[in-house]
Amino acid sequence: MPQHLKRLISFFAILLILFLIMRQVLIPKSFGQLGHYRADAISENQVRELHYAGSENCTKCHDSIHIEKDEGYHKQLKCEVCHGPGLKHTQYADKFKDGHLPDSLLLHKPIERKECALCHQKNAARTKILFDTIDNTMIVQIDAMKHKLLNKKTKEEQKCIKCHNPHQP
Amino acid sequence: MKNNKSNLSRRDFFKNGAIIVGGIAVASAITTFDSVLFALEPPKGKGKWYGIGIDINKCIGCGKCANACKLENNVPKEPFYFRSWVEQYTIKNDGTIKVESPNGGIDGFQQSIPDEEIFKSFFVPKMCNHCAKSPCTQVCPVGATFETPEGIVLVDPNYCIGCRYCVQACPYGCRYVHPDTGTVDKCTLCIHRLKKGLQPACFEICPTEARIFGDLNDLESKINYFLKNHTCMVIKPHLNTGSKLFYNALSSEVR
Repeated sequence: MPQHLKRLISFFAILLILFLIMRQVLIPKSFGQLGHYRADAISENQVRELHYAGSENCTKCHDSIHIEKDEGYHKQLKCEVCHGPGLKHTQYADKFKDGHLPDSLLLHKPIERKECALCHQKNAARTKILFDTIDNTMIVQIDAMKHKLLNKKTKEEQKCIKCHNPHQP
Repeated sequence: MKNNKSNLSRRDFFKNGAIIVGGIAVASAITTFDSVLFALEPPKGKGKWYGIGIDINKCIGCGKCANACKLENNVPKEPFYFRSWVEQYTIKNDGTIKVESPNGGIDGFQQSIPDEEIFKSFFVPKMCNHCAKSPCTQVCPVGATFETPEGIVLVDPNYCIGCRYCVQACPYGCRYVHPDTGTVDKCTLCIHRLKKGLQPACFEICPTEARIFGDLNDLESKINYFLKNHTCMVIKPHLNTGSKLFYNALSSEVR
């Protein structure tokens, strides 16, 4: 074999070895275990803070409201639909036995008209909806501009909960 | 003097060096080429293979799912970052289509077209389709987005370089660049909740149970019951993305 070919081959061999070493050092260990990605990224994605507790945790303390709600048209609604995420509320509830939680742990009370209107405002897309669960009734829709009660003195709009109990509407 | 410095001869030095370097080279050649590639079809194992069902007939457009998703996953509040959102489609009597999604439906929908002009109107909740042949994972130049063996499309934020290829590749518009990290963010099917045995936040919160979620490999699961009992369709079937988000009563107008 000519001298210059030998040099060339050994040069390329060194390059290949350097490339393989770089590959070994630079590519993370879990890359390629499951596919063209870092398999560790799956478990890294799983480590995050939860916010929603699930209504089973609510009924542990608020069982009377749960029983009340179960008899009404809102029975299939979970508590956190209206009251917002409550995992912190449920986690720290035991530490305040007297029932006086600090404001930061209290959950949202949806008492404004617009919060009821999120579901019950009249809309053409809501008219044909039938539920399997509640004897095929339609969702109650109101025109929030017309269906309202004014305060006799101040002439302000009254809140929906003045007449309707949200846990048993 | 030479011997006091070191007992190694030049020949031994090169010999040992070659053994070490060659060992690493061989080890790297063995370990890194064992990749399993299953991007083109679902794995045939017995593991979970998640699918999603959404019943358009049941959706009342309350936007609670979009709100719950933002709260659970710390998605920015601005009205243009969504992992999950709701659109209202209105088809008028003259055949024109109007699509609205004010703040993703979180603040509710106001009917913008009078009743007389409407032929039909319905809500379409949207989220990542968790495609089995997802276009977004195929374009990633650095392997930062991928399908897990359970059929969930995820982003590796440590590897993402923020090139936005995948944002453009997704035919359903389900990805965005997170303004704080500069990396791509998307629906993870609340994989942190799945691990704890809980439902994803939007499924947990839906007041009418319009959203169904489960294991497609499990014949007894809720999602399979839903698929058997409804005429289901995916969005943009002609793209052959292998979408696993099945809609009941999906109109052809939905894009």
